[in-house]
Amino acid sequence: MKPASFEYWTPTSVDEAVKVLSGLDDPGDAKVMAGGQSLMPLLNLRLSQPLHVVDLNGVDGMADIRREGDTLTVGAMCRQRAVERSAEVSAAAPLVVEALGNVGHPAIRNRGTVGGSIAHADPAAEMPAVALCLDAEMVAQGPAGGRVIPATEFFEGFLTTALTEEEVLTGIRFTADGPGSGSAFAEVARRHGDFAMAGVAVHVRLDGDTVAQARIAVSGVGLTPVRATGAESSLRGATAAEDAFAAAAAATSSALRPATDLHASGAYRTHVVGVLVRRALRTATDRARGNR
Amino acid sequence: MSDREITVTVNGTVHTALVEPRRTLADFLRHTLGLTATHLGCEHGVCGACTVLLDGEAVRSCLALAVHADGHEVTTVEGIAEPGQMHPVQTALWESGAFQCGFCTPGFVMTIYGMERDARAGRGCPRSRTEIREELSGNICRCSGYQAIVDGAEAALTAATGSASGSETRR
Amino acid sequence: MSSSVVGGLVGARIKRREDVRILTGAGRYIDDVHERNTLTCHFVRSTLPHARISGCDVAAAREMEGVVAVITGDEMAQFTNPINLGAPIPGLNSPSFTALATGTVRYVGEPVALVVASDRYVAEDAASLIEIDYDPLEPVVSTTQALADGAPQLFDEVPGNVIHSGEIAVGDIDAAFAEADHVVTDRLDQHRWTCAPMEGRGGVATYDRSTGVLTYEASTQTSHLMRLLVAGFINQPIHLMRVVTSDIGGSFGLKFSMYREDVALCAAAKHLGVSLKWVEDRNENLTAGGSARDETLTIDAAVKADGTLLGFRVNMVMNHGAYPVMPPAPVVTGIAGHMLPGPYRVPAYRFTSTAACTNKASYISLRGPWAVETLVRERMMDLIAKRVGISPVEVRQRNLIPVTEQPTMSGAGFTLDGVTAAETFARLTEMIDLDEIRAQQEKARAEGRLVGFGVGTFYEPAPGTPEFWGLIGFPFSAEPVRLRVEPDGHITAFTTQIPHGQGHETTLAQVIADEMGVAFDDVRIVFGDTDATVFTMIGTGGSKAGMMATGGAMVAAREVRARVLDIAAHMLEASPSDLQIENSVISVKGAPGSAVPLADLAMGCYMAPGMMPQGVDLNLETTAHYDGENGGWGQGSHACWVEIDQETGKIAVTRYLVVEDCGKIINPAVVDGQVIGGIAMGLGGMLLEHAAYGEDGQYLAGTFMDYLMPSAPEVPEIEIEHLEYQAPTMVGSRGVGEGGTVLAPAALLNAVDDAFGQVEAGRITATPLTPTKVLQALGVIED
Repeated sequence: MKPASFEYWTPTSVDEAVKVLSGLDDPGDAKVMAGGQSLMPLLNLRLSQPLHVVDLNGVDGMADIRREGDTLTVGAMCRQRAVERSAEVSAAAPLVVEALGNVGHPAIRNRGTVGGSIAHADPAAEMPAVALCLDAEMVAQGPAGGRVIPATEFFEGFLTTALTEEEVLTGIRFTADGPGSGSAFAEVARRHGDFAMAGVAVHVRLDGDTVAQARIAVSGVGLTPVRATGAESSLRGATAAEDAFAAAAAATSSALRPATDLHASGAYRTHVVGVLVRRALRTATDRARGNR
Repeated sequence: MSDREITVTVNGTVHTALVEPRRTLADFLRHTLGLTATHLGCEHGVCGACTVLLDGEAVRSCLALAVHADGHEVTTVEGIAEPGQMHPVQTALWESGAFQCGFCTPGFVMTIYGMERDARAGRGCPRSRTEIREELSGNICRCSGYQAIVDGAEAALTAATGSASGSETRR
Repeated sequence: MSSSVVGGLVGARIKRREDVRILTGAGRYIDDVHERNTLTCHFVRSTLPHARISGCDVAAAREMEGVVAVITGDEMAQFTNPINLGAPIPGLNSPSFTALATGTVRYVGEPVALVVASDRYVAEDAASLIEIDYDPLEPVVSTTQALADGAPQLFDEVPGNVIHSGEIAVGDIDAAFAEADHVVTDRLDQHRWTCAPMEGRGGVATYDRSTGVLTYEASTQTSHLMRLLVAGFINQPIHLMRVVTSDIGGSFGLKFSMYREDVALCAAAKHLGVSLKWVEDRNENLTAGGSARDETLTIDAAVKADGTLLGFRVNMVMNHGAYPVMPPAPVVTGIAGHMLPGPYRVPAYRFTSTAACTNKASYISLRGPWAVETLVRERMMDLIAKRVGISPVEVRQRNLIPVTEQPTMSGAGFTLDGVTAAETFARLTEMIDLDEIRAQQEKARAEGRLVGFGVGTFYEPAPGTPEFWGLIGFPFSAEPVRLRVEPDGHITAFTTQIPHGQGHETTLAQVIADEMGVAFDDVRIVFGDTDATVFTMIGTGGSKAGMMATGGAMVAAREVRARVLDIAAHMLEASPSDLQIENSVISVKGAPGSAVPLADLAMGCYMAPGMMPQGVDLNLETTAHYDGENGGWGQGSHACWVEIDQETGKIAVTRYLVVEDCGKIINPAVVDGQVIGGIAMGLGGMLLEHAAYGEDGQYLAGTFMDYLMPSAPEVPEIEIEHLEYQAPTMVGSRGVGEGGTVLAPAALLNAVDDAFGQVEAGRITATPLTPTKVLQALGVIED
């Protein structure tokens, strides 16, 4: 279990990283390395044998957390542990902090990055679902300059994103929670710290006891994290109570056809997503009530 | 693939070496420097046996490249106490009869050492046995059933928080 | 532990000596061994479960810089003998095979070629250049497939894919069922799970061309057996073969056997005249290292209306995997069959077994390899209780054999003596209040929670008796210890145990220090090196050490002590019976002035024998064998509390209580560690771990992301109560290493069944207890 050989690139700026990628004969032969906590196991197992590794660990300015007005920008190279401990993130996007507590273990999060997790786009991972739930924006830079990709357009397939092979994810923008907002993350894993059999990220905004807006993203049930749009619309305008939560749970589950694997059957995942939606909605609406 | 020259401070000693970029930090420590205390139990980041401190933070040395440590500081079990001596964390684990075969041990020691150091610095640490178990969930031991490890960690952390001022429960 | 502590060591919670090197990272595990110019090996392994090898192109790999050799299966067969790990057991069809596959591969992960290179990175690079052509054959994955008419045959020597079939019959089973008020039936498909020690297999083989000696530093539980077998398979004269062990990163049965990788590695080292290292990585260990359990049992119980057992009728089918390892399959089915009636009165018994070979990795030993007998029996006891309308406690009380009624015959037809399972169960029932537990369950249900409670009891051969092992066809051998008083009065003792976590360096030193009247730190225990230790077939395994190695240490120490006292008696002009050794000084009891230090006496014996008393034995070194005093048993009873989340199917073990009896405790910390670690393994095996194969014979759990080891939050706090029943033997201690793993699955499943029973849910008869299966049983989701 040792990595195959690769050409190793250590850009010191985002521009240089993009230049390295676009200068390769085939940028598809390259892997961009952030914290390495997903990529290194694949390299060690030789499940991934890139010809080039472009390492972002030496790139300056990619690990800042900035709040400008209602926008919170988390640099793609921010270590998960730093984000977890950030008062700014906790105030603006508590869902990110809550979900990070489920990512691997402390020693993984000390090294793993928020951007790396999102760009890796494992459908069972926490951060992609959170980004999708929060309608985050992915800030990318490529040879033609920068662009912003909405989360809803970012996750295209299994471990596949809208980033081109020459692009680098530089940051993730979240809209800060306003009054009446509440969020919750819930997942069921076989063990503490494992990839979840299924996970649910919920964000709601209440107007009194009425759900003004709800966003639900589900992990571990397909090739990408998915939004539960049917459940979201069923909640809009409803009273934040068990009946509505149960209806949202049913709407979420009925839209899913998850696969069976060693850890859980498709039927299990379908069922448990409903359980998680109900649990997360209860928590999120409680939090929203306490956040007026 | 051309080798890279790296300079890494390991347990306070500066080492300069030529390494292949693909070489993991764990293999650099074990095979390039001969520091074999850091063990490899899975090489895909699950078991925690290879846990070391990189600039003071616990990381999996199987999931970092040696080149990532260039210009940085690494601490391994060999570096937490003088030769022939034990750090209080090691002593606490010895007294609790924490370990059996010993293969996972360096990883646990480094994880608990990191927690204990935070506790000593007043940065907080897990207090209850349940919290300690959760904090240790990234280290796998096949022999002990964990109970005596938790005993040792609890004793070490209690001693450390007793010596710190303004400490608080983390999490 | 300071060296000033003398006496009273046995029974004390002495800090382990091993821990000093373990905690400081100074241990010597296989990958820490750096012989001069050691080269690294990497095995190329089969990617198919069953196929003919039609081509093997290693040319590109051989040309790679840093590659020293690439050895194919056919080439390896030129300098190794066919491997056969069979034993003289009637009806055993144990096929021969080659160190590396030749002709046919029979499981995913089977070694096909060996790459020798400067380092592991290069070796894996070279391996990726090797092209092997396979003609796929139909894979045989389940025992149903293996035993079906017309099934593909894995080996010519194994007709019908039946490695062995056996039968045990005691009493009149037909009469028992004819007489029964109730016949209760059950079945269990136990899944495959495995040892997964934190350090995999591996070794460093070094051939010294000048002396012809091959030294193999190996991660093994049995160094002498390894030496005997490897020497034979590679044509190395055994007196020129040395096996050494140092620290071993766990084993749990995996490293009991010699493996074909050991043969290939040693043969290649000899062939090339070099030092070769192989360290099994995690993917190899999970895929190719073999796994355990994987059995299907059916059981019928004949019972009287009051729950009294009349007989058990049991059939066991073992999924043996492709290639035999040690011990042979009938040893496992034999122990399972003989232990199954358990510590209960079972007047009639019939047990049949079949071990079927399949295209899976080998069936290996795992901590109490026979444990399925306890699982099916203890679940059956609960079924019987339910059928006849008594509690799980009462059904056991009615059938357990108290120690006061022993010796008697076990249900499987051998002598039971000193078995205290009934006494451990009695103590357990004193510690719980079943009515209170039932009341709490009712309260929990009212709150929408589901809480289950289960118990179980068992006994195990730890070490067992000569009569018992005779029925199994496995040796019950005497345990040798070599012991020497050094010229300075310190003591070196050589055990044939090969500790890999059990703490023998500490516990045997405790025993010897007390026997010899010296300080703990004045005793060193040497193990592993076949050049230093006494030949024996079995090293550490089978929970033997607690009684057998302790006994060896005691008889060796007593023999040398007697010589010391004889010598001192002359020097002090006293009778040996009036002498004592305290703090390394021999003195006349009641006359402390009349004394000679052990160091002075020993120095005299070695350096100036002519000035020492004559007519007495001045040899302060002996090899003594402990015959086991007819052996003994370990036993215990467990209680397990679970809470089941009816929405997610997650099972939380909320409390776990143990009453165990391994006789006299030498070191409580070591005993507790064995019990707790064993239970963690048993619970993990049932709840999380699964060495799973697809229907196509591909292996599905090749990483720790798929093979789920229990971590700290998944293991409950375990409460332990000790009984210390002592048989009238010199050695009061017995083994304790396996019992936790043997009984925990039963206590857990009974607790889960109890919870399911409260809500009229189904019952899980195919493990593991995944959340999916829990929700299926609860009727929440479809199968």
